[in-house]
Amino acid sequence: MAETVITVKDVKIRYRYLKKISLVKSMFSLKKFAKTDYFEAIKGISFEVEKGQILGIVGKNGSGKSTLLRAIAGIFSADEGVIDLHGNSVSLMSIGVGFKRPLTGRENIYLSGMLLGFSKEKIDERIDEIIEFSELGKFIDRPVKTYSSGMHSKLAFSISAILETEIMLIDEVLSVGDAKFKKKSFEKMKSLIKDKDRTVVIVSHSTETLQKLCDNILWIHDGEMKMMGPTAEVLPKYNEFMS
Amino acid sequence: MKRFFSDIKKFGNYITYSAQSELKAEVAGSFLSWLWWILDPMLYMAVYSFIAILIFNRPEPHFPVFVFVGLNVWQFFSKSLKSSVGIISANRGIVSKVYLPKHMFVLSKMCVLAFKMFVSFGLTAVFLIFDCLFGDPVQITFRILYLIPLFVLLFIGTFAVSLFIMHFGVFVEDLSNVITVVLQLGFYVSGVFFSLENRLTGDLAILGKILTNVNPLAFIMADMRTAILGGDSFHFVAFAVWFVIASIAAILGVRLVYNFENSYVKVI
Repeated sequence: MAETVITVKDVKIRYRYLKKISLVKSMFSLKKFAKTDYFEAIKGISFEVEKGQILGIVGKNGSGKSTLLRAIAGIFSADEGVIDLHGNSVSLMSIGVGFKRPLTGRENIYLSGMLLGFSKEKIDERIDEIIEFSELGKFIDRPVKTYSSGMHSKLAFSISAILETEIMLIDEVLSVGDAKFKKKSFEKMKSLIKDKDRTVVIVSHSTETLQKLCDNILWIHDGEMKMMGPTAEVLPKYNEFMS
Repeated sequence: MKRFFSDIKKFGNYITYSAQSELKAEVAGSFLSWLWWILDPMLYMAVYSFIAILIFNRPEPHFPVFVFVGLNVWQFFSKSLKSSVGIISANRGIVSKVYLPKHMFVLSKMCVLAFKMFVSFGLTAVFLIFDCLFGDPVQITFRILYLIPLFVLLFIGTFAVSLFIMHFGVFVEDLSNVITVVLQLGFYVSGVFFSLENRLTGDLAILGKILTNVNPLAFIMADMRTAILGGDSFHFVAFAVWFVIASIAAILGVRLVYNFENSYVKVI
């Protein structure tokens, strides 16, 4: 029996329509604080992912895929239910990690690494590899605000690809940069994903990519689990449904 | 609170590294910009000297040191507050990508500001030496050690207020306007460039006493000046009371942010 690394149990996530309020405006309006509306993005989903597994999440736009991924990453907590990562480290890869624009690329590597929970020594070990992979050359010591958008995403990709965590969550980013870097990053992704010790959750609209990479597919529809099972079973049904 | 301290341990690296690199970026950003860490308080002092000497016509003794202590403390406090209002949206990129206890943003910013504050406190020492050479020398005694607990109190108190402001700053869009006005008032009732107790005399003497005792910043400034320049007596009771209040407020602020931090990302 393989080890379970992600347990999601009866998770519900609500957006509260928390609108910003204005003190001045609320002074002049009769209804002080409008009753808060709820929007349930995830309506009770349960599943488990075993170590080394690659899970793809599909669903139409707005079905709650990214919300679920962010909740697994711990960016916001579930309103109900439990998400347990069994103590594994996790990182969410999506376009553009939060860089501080006035700081140099090198400093941002350290900051991002520390945010992912790596020690300075660990980052020292890997930093050359990151810089080399990102192909930024001399630009690594210039402020990130001087980077082109391509350079920006190359750096972001390199950081999360080289500073690897036990669980990787990938939100629709399998290739960035120019044609050459795209190929390189896709190869890197593949080797990372195929690693037997790594658990990966991918959100994507590209059924072609998921077909190639995933063991299992979770299909979410309007915040509810529609189907979950081996790729060969779920994907054809999903394709049929969407067409 | 246990969680808070373990988080500080965990993200301590991040706090200091981000503070360091922010300072470095400021230095690298423009030519001689570090000079502004010194010029800024000097120029402000010139402005307040002008007002105190020409308009009030009665500056406090050891005026440069007097103003410097007030200004440094005030700038640290007010800048921490002002940057806390929008600190979550300013770090939107990070907030929406990884989990980080949001207190760390405030702590990191406060480290930057504290560093600048200590740089300009260094200038105070220069003025003290200057006074020794050309004017009436100030007797520095062991009472100067009292500055340490005062700084600790200032740090805890500022942290507590900043947390609350950060929290409400996420949800209230015009909070920064309110803060600006309140800080302006705070500036004048804290006696940054004049002594509340000496200035408010006669019928108003009681007001001066109340302001000094009710406003923690006025009391911190007054006692810091006493610690350096001597003269008045310390307000030990006020210190104890404010220390307890600040600590409780900080604990409440830490809890508040832990409870709500996961909804911040849904709003910004």
